[in-house]
Amino acid sequence: MDKPLVYISNLNLQYAGLPVLCDLNWNIYAGEHWVIGGKSGSGKSSLAKAIVGQEKFTGEIICNYDNPSKLMPIAYYVSNWYQFANLEGDRNFYYQQRYNKHQQNDTLTVYADLLHFGEKNNLNFQDAEPILDALGFNNCRETQLIELSSGEHKKLQLIQALWFKPQILILDEPYTGLDKIARVNLNILLDRLAELGTTLILISNDFTVPSSINRFGEIEDGKINTVDNINAFSLDETRQSKPFPYFLQKDPPGEAQTIVELRDVSVKYGDKVVLKDINWKVARGEKWLLQGHNGSGKSTLLSLLNADHPQAYASDIWLFGQKRGSGESIWDIKEKIGIISPELHWYFDKNATVWHTVASGYYDSIGWFLKVKYEEQRQIEQLLDFFDLLEVKDKLLHTLPLGKQRLALLARTIIKNPQLLILDEPCQGLDRTQAAHFNAVVDELSRYGKTLIYVGHYESHLPSCIDHRLELEKGEVMKTQNILEKA
Amino acid sequence: MANYFNTLPLRDQLTQLGQAEFMDNTEFADGINALKGKKIVIVGAGAQGLNQGLNLRDSGLDISYALRREAIEQKRDSWKNATDNNFTVGTYDELIPTADLVINLTPDKQHTAVVNAVMPLMKQGATLSYSHGFNVVEEGMQIRQDITVIMVAPKCPGSEVRAEYLRGFGVPTLIAVHPENDPEGKGWPYAKAYCVGTGGHRAGVLKSSFVAEVKSDLMGEQTILCGLLQTGSILSFDKMIEKGIDAGYASKLVQYGVEVITEALKHGGVSGMLDRLSNPAKIKAFQISEELKDIMRPLFQKHQDDIMSGEFSKTMMEDWANGDANLLKWRAETGETAFEKTPAGDVKINEQEYFDNYTLMVAFVRAGVELAFETMVEAGIKPESAYYESLHETPLIANTIARKKLFEMNRVISDTAEYGCYLFDQACKPLLADFMKKVDTDMVGKNFNEGKDATVDNIQLVQVNEILRNHPVEIVGTKLRKAMTAMKVIKTV
Repeated sequence: MDKPLVYISNLNLQYAGLPVLCDLNWNIYAGEHWVIGGKSGSGKSSLAKAIVGQEKFTGEIICNYDNPSKLMPIAYYVSNWYQFANLEGDRNFYYQQRYNKHQQNDTLTVYADLLHFGEKNNLNFQDAEPILDALGFNNCRETQLIELSSGEHKKLQLIQALWFKPQILILDEPYTGLDKIARVNLNILLDRLAELGTTLILISNDFTVPSSINRFGEIEDGKINTVDNINAFSLDETRQSKPFPYFLQKDPPGEAQTIVELRDVSVKYGDKVVLKDINWKVARGEKWLLQGHNGSGKSTLLSLLNADHPQAYASDIWLFGQKRGSGESIWDIKEKIGIISPELHWYFDKNATVWHTVASGYYDSIGWFLKVKYEEQRQIEQLLDFFDLLEVKDKLLHTLPLGKQRLALLARTIIKNPQLLILDEPCQGLDRTQAAHFNAVVDELSRYGKTLIYVGHYESHLPSCIDHRLELEKGEVMKTQNILEKA
Repeated sequence: MANYFNTLPLRDQLTQLGQAEFMDNTEFADGINALKGKKIVIVGAGAQGLNQGLNLRDSGLDISYALRREAIEQKRDSWKNATDNNFTVGTYDELIPTADLVINLTPDKQHTAVVNAVMPLMKQGATLSYSHGFNVVEEGMQIRQDITVIMVAPKCPGSEVRAEYLRGFGVPTLIAVHPENDPEGKGWPYAKAYCVGTGGHRAGVLKSSFVAEVKSDLMGEQTILCGLLQTGSILSFDKMIEKGIDAGYASKLVQYGVEVITEALKHGGVSGMLDRLSNPAKIKAFQISEELKDIMRPLFQKHQDDIMSGEFSKTMMEDWANGDANLLKWRAETGETAFEKTPAGDVKINEQEYFDNYTLMVAFVRAGVELAFETMVEAGIKPESAYYESLHETPLIANTIARKKLFEMNRVISDTAEYGCYLFDQACKPLLADFMKKVDTDMVGKNFNEGKDATVDNIQLVQVNEILRNHPVEIVGTKLRKAMTAMKVIKTV
């Protein structure tokens, strides 16, 4: 047999002092394309980082690159978590920064960033054009990095990787935040790259993978096992059902019958129209699904509702029966809303413990600053228990696997029993079992007088309580639909 | 106009200088109510102007921007900042007469011109707010007797004021009421409501005076904050080059080291910063910083004396009148130093290495913070004020160095800070010439612990720790930092 492209022998790796990979052996041969799946926290990302030299390990990893190949003799890793920096290397951005307009540019434009990447790696910009096209990124060229949504950031990472054409490409949760079309096109692009000779390694529990994928592996007890197909991946155990915390089994206060009303609302940055003539009314108790492609304006729309967008003051927006800009503070509004979004997670305080993260939900703060009353402390403990997070309550949020981090942020979202839940892709980073569990929680929570606005790309990952749907396309309302009436 | 401070009798000088009361949360129970429904007009839409306005509006207040006619007609950045965020913008003539509160957030140098233009337009009994007292205290601006004059001074750059507010927090803030201009007794309620509107009440508020704010602010910025960081950075870089350390490494160590080191200072005070060193390195840094304090004390005292007597502001205003001749010359010189011209190398330096290989900067920072604090307190400034103007702000300035080195630091800070920084730097370098001759690469450029065993004399270590932890800046710092729970970690590298 030929020499393996990647030879891994007796790999040992620790994370936070605990063993993650133990004497792992793995050979990857040319022509193989792998998907690595399995439970969260099993060491998938650690393995990927070890291969590209981003994580310390003991043992041996040898990559035998094909020298005559035109592809770059490099193992290229696209991480599941990415923080862009500005020109000075500054990464200290805040959640709402992309809505506040300053004349001084904070970050590069997409185009400048790509040029910079191309120059650094001696790439021809013409080769990037078809990739930009295929992932629907052409209209983002002049957009500043800070203005991109999480799905768009993911695309930018992928565009760079595809353009780079490495011999080994490792993609960690590449579908996170991508809309349906982008997922399909990504797989086509990956197949093309595989034909050119790139070896693909995907970390994912998704069903839709490139057709070139021909090997399936999962990590168990620190070692890698091959399995037959995607369906054979072990998932996190279905959790034992626990009684829903009593303090959440009641309707939140509030009298307004119309929770949200937008009248001809538009948002423009210079000539760029982000939202156009939006009319939308959400009545108390309705459960809305908000859909649209990456960049269709969903995040901007939600930022208007959560009082994060300065242009709300120039628009005809009514929240909880009060017009925006009539003397209320943004904290008066946020108090009634529980929100989670990939961006919120992104910018969340890296030094917060799990307990502090949940506690901050009482004050709508990013991180925790104020003392919590005894009764509230009890509620936090109950909710942590409900989400199986009690054991890790004193750990720093960012040291947990992404799926667990997400659960902690979900607990933060519902801790104050808000009138309106805004769940923007809440299941991102969760596997199928976790997502099903979470959506069951949403369904249960919805029974107690909540209004819901839910964003989800995956049809299979939706709570069943959804009764209305709004679809955005290029900043305009394409369709509103009462799903119940149709049924 | 005469220097206001110099017109006061000694007892009033002392009273106003010594005004510093850390305010209890309960003082802000009334929220923004004192300003609710009042017409608030901000003059200037730069970093402070725009970001404070965004916060105040998000707190439910009525905000618009008055800009000079040329700024509007030429659609300058200030006009774009305000209009892009959907604020009402108008000329002074259009908006000032309607205002209950005029907030002046223009650069210091423009204050006299701005206030002279705005004052005649202000309605009877309106309020004027400053975020720095230089114009009132040093330039002696006289404000119409019916006008209430307040100050709300967030101790952070404008971008941080906004970022912290949206996180649900705020930045530490000084507030004051000018004793000569509080005809209706509404100064404090207004200042407090304004402070709540910016989120400042969540991070600790100091009830100060115009005089205390100016005299401590000037002292802090020209000595520890900008002056010493500049001197220390340049001397450290030059020393490493002299000793054959790779220039790219030296440049990176200096550019980012000061941020990493002062981040430890921010969260744990001076002793927290020194605790990051090994025991032998800590003792060495302690001894060296004691020596540095002895050498530099007269210079710190001279700066404080010139600030108190008005000599500093007089000299600087002469330079303003002279088209900033000195300032611009010195600024150009800063742009030409070897440190400035050597790009940071593409080397990885981990966080601990910034301490172990840059013990000299730890010593500089300790010496500078303690000296500035001691000198201010000796001059009659209260420890609370002295803490904010020395230790608290050092990491913020260090962050500007990490972003784009010293030229950027000097560009970002106020004109008064920049002018004072150059004065300090020019005097300090010759003062340290002999000291620097003794410094070797174990203090800067290489790991101090290399080739040494970790033994220390236990009693000596105990004594050093005790001196560090019992310094007054640590005592007051522990109290003030409690109000700044969950301070954000700033990280550039």
